Amino acid sequence: MRRNPWLLLVAALLVVLALGVAGCGGDDEAADEPGQTGEAEEPAAEQVITIAWGAEPPSLDPGLATDTTSSNVIGNIMDPLVVLDENLEPQPQLAESWEVSEDGTTVTYTLRQDGQWTNGDPVTAADFEYSWKRTLSPELAADYAYQLYGIQGAQEYNACESNCDRLADQVGVTAVDDHTLEVQLTSPQPWFIAQSAHHSFIAVHQATVEEFGEQWTEPENIVTNGPFMLEAWEHEASIDLVKWDEWRNADEVTLERVNGLIIVDGTTKLQAFEAGEVDAFDGGGLPPAEIPRLKETEEYEQYEYLGTYYYGFNVENVDLEQRRAMSLAIDRQTVIDNVAQADQAPGAGMTPPGIPGYDVINPESPWTPASGDLEQAQSLMDQAQSPKTNINLFHNNAPGHREIAVAVQDMWSEIGINTTIRAQEWAQYLEFLGPPPSNQVDVYRLGWIYDYPDAINGLELWTCDSGNNNTNFCNEEFDGLVEEARQTPDDAARFELYAQAEDVMFGEDGEMPITPIYHYTLINMEDTCIKDTFYIGALNSMDLTDVVVEGECS
Amino acid sequence: MATYVIRRIIWTIPVILLVILLIFSLMKQIGGNPFRQTERAVPPAIQANLEEKFNLGKPWYAQYAYYVRDVATFNLGPSLVLRNRTVNEIVKAHFPHSLKLAILAIGWGLVIGLPAGIASALRPNSVFDYAAMLFSNIGFALPNFLVATVLIYYVALQWDLVPTNGWPSAFWDFNDKRLILPSFALGLFFMAFVARLVRGTMLETMQQDYVRTAKAKGLRWRRVVLRHVLRNSLIPVVTAVGPLIGLVITGTFVIETIFSIPGIGRYFVDAVAARDYSVVMGITVLAAIVVIVANLIVDILYGFLDPRTREART
Repeated sequence: MRRNPWLLLVAALLVVLALGVAGCGGDDEAADEPGQTGEAEEPAAEQVITIAWGAEPPSLDPGLATDTTSSNVIGNIMDPLVVLDENLEPQPQLAESWEVSEDGTTVTYTLRQDGQWTNGDPVTAADFEYSWKRTLSPELAADYAYQLYGIQGAQEYNACESNCDRLADQVGVTAVDDHTLEVQLTSPQPWFIAQSAHHSFIAVHQATVEEFGEQWTEPENIVTNGPFMLEAWEHEASIDLVKWDEWRNADEVTLERVNGLIIVDGTTKLQAFEAGEVDAFDGGGLPPAEIPRLKETEEYEQYEYLGTYYYGFNVENVDLEQRRAMSLAIDRQTVIDNVAQADQAPGAGMTPPGIPGYDVINPESPWTPASGDLEQAQSLMDQAQSPKTNINLFHNNAPGHREIAVAVQDMWSEIGINTTIRAQEWAQYLEFLGPPPSNQVDVYRLGWIYDYPDAINGLELWTCDSGNNNTNFCNEEFDGLVEEARQTPDDAARFELYAQAEDVMFGEDGEMPITPIYHYTLINMEDTCIKDTFYIGALNSMDLTDVVVEGECS
Repeated sequence: MATYVIRRIIWTIPVILLVILLIFSLMKQIGGNPFRQTERAVPPAIQANLEEKFNLGKPWYAQYAYYVRDVATFNLGPSLVLRNRTVNEIVKAHFPHSLKLAILAIGWGLVIGLPAGIASALRPNSVFDYAAMLFSNIGFALPNFLVATVLIYYVALQWDLVPTNGWPSAFWDFNDKRLILPSFALGLFFMAFVARLVRGTMLETMQQDYVRTAKAKGLRWRRVVLRHVLRNSLIPVVTAVGPLIGLVITGTFVIETIFSIPGIGRYFVDAVAARDYSVVMGITVLAAIVVIVANLIVDILYGFLDPRTREART
């Protein structure tokens, strides 16, 4: 049947081109059913799905991974200590329970007895001690080693130049016995349990890592301990997972197999989805222009996503009145409805809704009303000490940012500000931002996606010596509040401190070093056969263990 | 001939050294931090660890020396961004896909463009000639991403004849529908290019005295075309197609992205964006070698097509 496809198609191709050139008008079949593929229909009994991974994972080593796709693969082939439920509360996973000492600085995890590696070895507390110290070791040079900096002695060991072995011994992670892992923290960190759901805290199999070195994550070498196994990884092309029947909780996993195609380009993966070649994405990456159309489809899915998209001010270039005026002039709801289009929440402060304590923490800022306030903006602009009417707005040239910048440019023109939009390629962009930012930067765009569900993770960016504070904003009161919050294990009291910190930034007398635009949502396409059971958590973590294929996948 | 080839090969060494120096200084000029791919700042201690691991803390001449050593030993070191992979591995795994894509694209150019050009030249100003030249103008003018998008829309989505994207994993697998669209989209330019070139040079050759002489001698027209016109017209075609192979590496980027093909072009662009110095260096050197080899082959082919160049060299 598939005898020579080449000859057969030559003529067809020429015709297509002629069609395409002659103008594709009059052929607008948006409601056209892409189904009816020639392939045999899969019976529902076959628990197999095909997903599109959004990128080639730079590394499947939990210690080295930094991006979403790597994290999503790792999360499904490995067994983390805890997972976050829909309310972002940590739930037992490999750790069956944990205990936090009175003063909050010692955390003791009790591991399950039945955790095991795919080669039959039991998973022990020693695996975690080894893995965390490995991630911190200067020789591994892990980008995300700082995720573990809350552990006593971790930062010192990671930064060591001499005496490294001694410093490694002093890192506060100890396997007391096979199933007891004790962690000493630098301060009480009530978020630590939730933070340990992050992929940086996942254990690796020591013997495998030592035997294969940097090749240990290749499918023929890797030893894992999660619900799925890495069956194949063809770089830049595909990653296939199969259910591991020996997993401690395998009875509750229905899905047998995940075929994964690596498709980076948003349009390409959407086409593959619409042709029925893939059943779901691992979250996001859709072309912004397609969102309104996709939203009307049954396959569209939207998740909460802890993060804030903001415009930062260089406070040395733009004075306080003008920062307030510019913030007031932005009609966030309009930006969301017409540009971002994924039902994001208008940005009120730094902390996104969904974070524990949000109701207390949310500053209810007078400077960030959802629909803006042009009148007040204009009057503040008139009061500005040294109004700057020519503003440089910087953004990186990824999809979507320019459209928002243009909308905001238009809004600012209403209060007499002439905005020049400057797009930069990412690496160059970061050079411009510093910190400290280049003098040419008046306003810049960035986003922050939370690592763990506690407001501190976003607020601490704005301390004076933070590497993520590109605004030149430096306020002692703010730094004091953040530091105090770090030392406050009690939730209610800590949330109150966060609220005060938000107030320093966005309150009545707030400094407005940044103005939030919106809090993210995560959009995804999922075939109706799996849509009910496919799940992506608010930290963009795809969980395949509950997926059940029902009915027919197109 | 042999001495000529050897001399050419030796000459590649300074060329490659120069390429390394050029790319090295360009990459240093544009700045950027290969260890910061996300919005998250890299703490100084971690930055220091990474620079130490990848020899980036050293002075520039030491870094240059490292690159030269790496290239000389064909061991291009680890990628700075894809942490579990080496440049050698990346090139080995992905270059063949790009090479195959480019060969197929050039194949389209020769299989369709060459006959179309010849036919046009033999019947100038005929309906066929006009049609072919119109088609070739279009092929020139349309950017390949547009062609690719239109093809995917009709052939893959509407008619459902081929998958929308993907690529066979085995190099020698040529019996796969997924090869068709990308190679055609990339090859359209070559088709147009070759057709025009051949038509032009053939028309010119047919005006030559030796063609008229051959005709006057009473040779059959078919024989005149094959022996005299075509052979002489092909020289410029060979000259032009050879260096186009260089596009294997840089020119396939868009098509590889649209069709999700695991080729080297994508790596090259991504590596520059990510400041993955070792990957950029490795692929650039590879590209230089490919172009040099392609030119060498062209020069050798010249010898067969045109005896004058053969004599001039010995």
